[in-house]
Amino acid sequence: MRLQRAEILSRERFGNHLLLRYRWNGCIPQPGQFVMVRTRSFAAALDPFLCRPFFVHDYDGESAALLVEIRGRGTSLLAGEEEEVVVSEPLGRGFDIGNGPVALVGGGVWVSPLKLLSRRLAGRGIPHELYLEIPSTAPEAYGDVISRIFPDADLVPTDDPERAPEKLLARVGDLSRYSAVCASGPLSTLAAVKRAACEQVCVQLAVRERMACANGSCHGCAVPVWDGGGRTYARACISGPVFLAEVLAW
Amino acid sequence: MPAAGTLGREAFGEVKGVYGAILPKTVTPKPRAGNPPPRLAEAPAGIINSIGLQNPGIERFLEDLDDYDIGLPIIVSVAGDTVAEFAELCARLAGESRVAAVELNLSCPNTERGGTTFCARAETISEVVAACRTALPDKPLFAKLANEGALNNALASEEAGADALTLINTISALAVDPHTRRIFLKGGLSGPAIKPVALRAVYEVSRVVSVPVIGCGGVTSGTDAVAFMLAGASAVQVGSGGFVREPGEILEEFAVYLRDNELKAQNLTSALRSRDESQEAMLY
Repeated sequence: MRLQRAEILSRERFGNHLLLRYRWNGCIPQPGQFVMVRTRSFAAALDPFLCRPFFVHDYDGESAALLVEIRGRGTSLLAGEEEEVVVSEPLGRGFDIGNGPVALVGGGVWVSPLKLLSRRLAGRGIPHELYLEIPSTAPEAYGDVISRIFPDADLVPTDDPERAPEKLLARVGDLSRYSAVCASGPLSTLAAVKRAACEQVCVQLAVRERMACANGSCHGCAVPVWDGGGRTYARACISGPVFLAEVLAW
Repeated sequence: MPAAGTLGREAFGEVKGVYGAILPKTVTPKPRAGNPPPRLAEAPAGIINSIGLQNPGIERFLEDLDDYDIGLPIIVSVAGDTVAEFAELCARLAGESRVAAVELNLSCPNTERGGTTFCARAETISEVVAACRTALPDKPLFAKLANEGALNNALASEEAGADALTLINTISALAVDPHTRRIFLKGGLSGPAIKPVALRAVYEVSRVVSVPVIGCGGVTSGTDAVAFMLAGASAVQVGSGGFVREPGEILEEFAVYLRDNELKAQNLTSALRSRDESQEAMLY
C-alpha cells in the first residue's frame, strides 16, 4: 500500500475521541471515502501491524481531518503522535451526490464522514438536514464537540441503545420529504434506516469494517450483499464503504 | 512474488516491475462465497485471517485470466476438498498456455475438514501431489505446505513429483475477546510474528530436499528476503507484508543489500555461514 507522511496541523482530544487535522495536498477526498493511517513509530516496529481505516471527516483544500475514537493500541498511538502521521490517498467509493433534499443520519464516531458530505452539499447549494444521535453514555465533551462541528444538526439524545435507531428515525420524520438519505452510524442504525427508508427514497449507507490491505487484495472487509439474486460478499474497501441500502444483504 | 491470496487485480499497478510472477488468489472447483465476517483480527506483529478461499471457481477464473496478464508468469494456486478435485483442477490448467505453473494449496487452515488440512498426513500429501503430477505433466508443480509436519510433507511432495515447495502457509491461530468472553476469530496467523517459524521450516526443509524452496512468512523488508534466501529459499513470497509496505520498497532494500555486500541474489541461497560463538549480538 502506498503511504505518505503528512504533517499534523492540530490535535484536539475530547474524552476518548480525537479530532486530528493533517496537511493534505494529494487527491481531493470525496465524502464517504476513507484513508489508512498509522504513526511513524508503529510503522517502524510493525506492531501494531496494520494501518487503521478512518473516514475522511473533513477537507478544506489544504488539510484533511479525521474523527477518531480511541479504542485500542493503534488509536492510542495515533492520539500520542505530535508531528506527523503516515496516510494513504483517499480510498473507496463514497456517497453519490445527487439532487436534494438529503437527510444525513448518523450516530457515534461514525458521524465522521457526514461533515465532509454536509460541506460538499452546502458548496453545491443542495438542501440537506442533519440528524445525529447523542447517546447518554457519551461523555459530555463529545456532545459539545459534535454540536460545534455540526452547528446546524438536529442532535437527538438517546438513552436506550436498542431503541436509539427508532428514536432517531422518529426525529427525521416523514422520509418522503427527501430524495435521498445518507447514513453513517452503528450497524443497528444503518439497518433501521434501511428498513424504514429503502422503499421510499434512495438510501446510501457508509459501513465500517476491519481492513488490512485496503486495495481489494485480501477480502478481509467482507460485507454481505445481494448479487444476481444470490447472497455473496463484497469488499468494503473497493466496492464501498458506501453502499446502496438495497444491495446490502442484512 | 506475492503469496497466494494477498494481491488482487486491483493492486497490480503497485507491483509492476517489482514481482517476478503473479500468483492470484487460490482457485477451487466451484465458486466459494468465503467465510462470514469478521474475517480479520490483529495479533502482535501480525494478522489472523479467516477468508475461507473466497473465489469465483475455476471456470470463471479462466474466463477472466487475461485480466491477470501484466507481462509476468502466472502461477495459479489451487485447492480442492479431495484428491480428485486437486487433480481435476490441474487437468483443467494443463492445457492452458497462459498458466506458467501451479501451486497446490495443501495447507489453508480456514477450510478445514474435520479439523485437519491435507498436511496432517504425509501419505495424503503424497497422494495429492502424485495425482496432480499425472494430471499436469508439462508445467512446474509447487506444493505449498504448512509448518506442521513440514519436513515429512516436503519429502513426500518431492518424492511424488513436486518441482518446488512453498513454505509456510499461515499458522492456525485463535483470537479471544476477553470483554465478551467469546471467540472472536479462528484463522491463520501471518506477518512478522511467524517469520522465525517460517525461517526455521525453510532452513530444515531445504537441507534435505533437492527441489527449490520458496520462502513465505512475514517478509516485510529486503533483509527479511535475504534471511529467507540465506536459510535456503531460492525465491521469496510477500504476503501480508505487502499490506503495510510497498512491495517496491522491499525489493529496493533487497537490491541495496546485494549492492552493499557485493553479492548476487542467486548466490544467497543456502549461503549461511556457520555460527560463530564470539559473534556480536544480532542487530535488528
